[in-house]
Amino acid sequence: MTDIELMEKLKSFLGDKIVEMSNPALRRVFMKVDPKNLAAVAVSLKKDLGIWYIAAISGVDVEDSFEILYHFGHDNGSLSVRTRIPKADPHIESISPIVPGAIFYERELQDMFGIIVDHIPDPRPLVVPDDWPAGNYPLRKDWKYERPPEIIPGGKQ
Amino acid sequence: MLKRLTRWSRIKSPWILHLNSGACNACDIEIVAALTPRFDVERFGVLLKATPRHADVIIATGPVTRQIKDRIIRIYEQTPDPKFVIAVGACAMSGCVYRGAYNIMGGLDQVIPVNVYVPGCPARPDAILDGVIKLLGKL
Amino acid sequence: MKFTIPIGPQHPALKEPISLRMTVEGEVIRDADIRLGYNHRGLEKLAEERTWIQNIYLMERICGICSHSHTTCYVQGVEKLMEIEPPKRGLYIRTLVAELERVHSHLLWLGVAGHEAGFDSFFMYTWRDREVVMDILEMISGNRVHYAMNTIGGVRRDLDDLQITKILDGLEVLKKRSEYYFKIGANEPTFVARLAGVGYLSKERAMDLCAVGPTARASGVTRDVRKDDPYAAYDETPFDVCTADTCDVLGRTVVRIKELFESYKISEFLLKSLPAGGIAVKAPKRAKPNEVLSRYEAPRGENTHYIKSNGTDKPERLKVRAPTLANYPATVEMLKNGFIADIPLIFAAIDPCICCAERAVELVNARTGEEKALRFSELRKLADERFKNPSLKRNAVWPF
Repeated sequence: MTDIELMEKLKSFLGDKIVEMSNPALRRVFMKVDPKNLAAVAVSLKKDLGIWYIAAISGVDVEDSFEILYHFGHDNGSLSVRTRIPKADPHIESISPIVPGAIFYERELQDMFGIIVDHIPDPRPLVVPDDWPAGNYPLRKDWKYERPPEIIPGGKQ
Repeated sequence: MLKRLTRWSRIKSPWILHLNSGACNACDIEIVAALTPRFDVERFGVLLKATPRHADVIIATGPVTRQIKDRIIRIYEQTPDPKFVIAVGACAMSGCVYRGAYNIMGGLDQVIPVNVYVPGCPARPDAILDGVIKLLGKL
Repeated sequence: MKFTIPIGPQHPALKEPISLRMTVEGEVIRDADIRLGYNHRGLEKLAEERTWIQNIYLMERICGICSHSHTTCYVQGVEKLMEIEPPKRGLYIRTLVAELERVHSHLLWLGVAGHEAGFDSFFMYTWRDREVVMDILEMISGNRVHYAMNTIGGVRRDLDDLQITKILDGLEVLKKRSEYYFKIGANEPTFVARLAGVGYLSKERAMDLCAVGPTARASGVTRDVRKDDPYAAYDETPFDVCTADTCDVLGRTVVRIKELFESYKISEFLLKSLPAGGIAVKAPKRAKPNEVLSRYEAPRGENTHYIKSNGTDKPERLKVRAPTLANYPATVEMLKNGFIADIPLIFAAIDPCICCAERAVELVNARTGEEKALRFSELRKLADERFKNPSLKRNAVWPF
């Protein structure tokens, strides 16, 4: 289906759950929803529109909130669903019960940003090492890393 | 007499262990390509072994990530003496583009002692062969 | 009696560190668990401190086998952010290098699959022919891997007529040899019997777990970014999407061989109809605040980059999702109810490029909770012994 058809169908199935929608380029549709409607939107996308494939989940650190994008793909382009959660209380509902393939991306969100994903089936950390000190979230803008000085074998410091 | 025999056998057929410590894979593919008929490192008696306990030489690539640091030290201790280490590629020498990242130690020599450095990003199979021969010449 | 068997980060079968823990009962695997993180290099944080051009150098070194995929995906996104359009000749050369990279990656995989199945001469033959492609790429770009052909606004090096003739000759040689291998593979009953029925992934589970690339296409899911969302020169090139419907490792091999032949066809078409003109346009230093999603079909599946800019000359956020990360849940599914002896083959069948995923399988004995360490070489010996008499599947047929 083309972009116009997709936007019409989204409006008819989701109606008031959409906060805003845009079509900035060919085959790319961006849509904004509220965090509490996220699970309902995912169910509706899978059942009514036949969009079952999630490509990635990315998080962005905007000054005092996190913006999470869910990138879905369909036969003729992609649809990205955007939500915003406050940094002080970073909770978001998991969509893994609906789309099982999203589990790894949500685990990575937890590691990198410190976002807590509720009802996630498998909450273990994914990419950080075993001896990583808790509370360090590398992709937050205010997290800086100071590299310890290197030892040059057989030479001066 | 026995010492001369063991020294001769070590030079004529070193068995290597291939270790990847978080690399981008390019140097590893070039190491495996050195075994293929075009570059053919097996004519020097080099055999790719699966376990550290049989190996004489450790060929390592990649900048060392935090997660794999303990495993590398353990593997180095499992290899029987005398052992030699070849660091292949710019990542194993000093970290290449990843210097300064939060999960990277730096080069391989921050963790285990290294004998031969082979530069390149990635190092060509000819350069890897050159490094192995130079190591054999020093023995 | 279930055992835990950890297959630790250093093993000879896979060239990359990954830790697998599998719960086994007898010889059958009940559950599998993957521990990533041995290859996590913190690239996304590094990318925020480098300018747009310096990031091309960083993106190349995410992976050695699919390095052109990551740079092209990134550069496509940045070109959309800066609102510039590279000339046609540049797009054709980019697509040509992409197809040559697909050829070299699939030949590499065929060798690895032969090695895992115990067919070492196949491994040596395919890697010898891979050298033909490496020579062509070295002639075009100057390096065997990490050919830095892309720049923001086009490509960096041009092709002249002598190079074009040499590339066409090289492709002819490769085509003849690939047909020879395909004949061997199809008529070798032990090879086919070794691959058939291993690592089953049904179409519904492939869709649920969002598998990508040849792993999904072998289960009948027709999803190829080159057709669904064409980029570079793919909307002007005629080609078919290759699928198979046997849902096992044999299907994945068939899909990759079909894609090899498609790549030869596409490369010849591109070379014969290369338009004249410039190869790059000048790019500005800064990009306006905007965001873009860029998709690309790497040899292993779909590669997705999400780039956000904030008006300066450094990106605000750069997110990379590599194809192998998307295939991990499908791998866990495939390993369940398989045999220990099949682990190397199943894992190699998704064409793991763990450095792309940036980011270990334990076998747990369910009854006693005992842990037993098993080396990959022992696994392969087990596999070879088990399949010495493949009388059960002698009538497996090559479904081409």
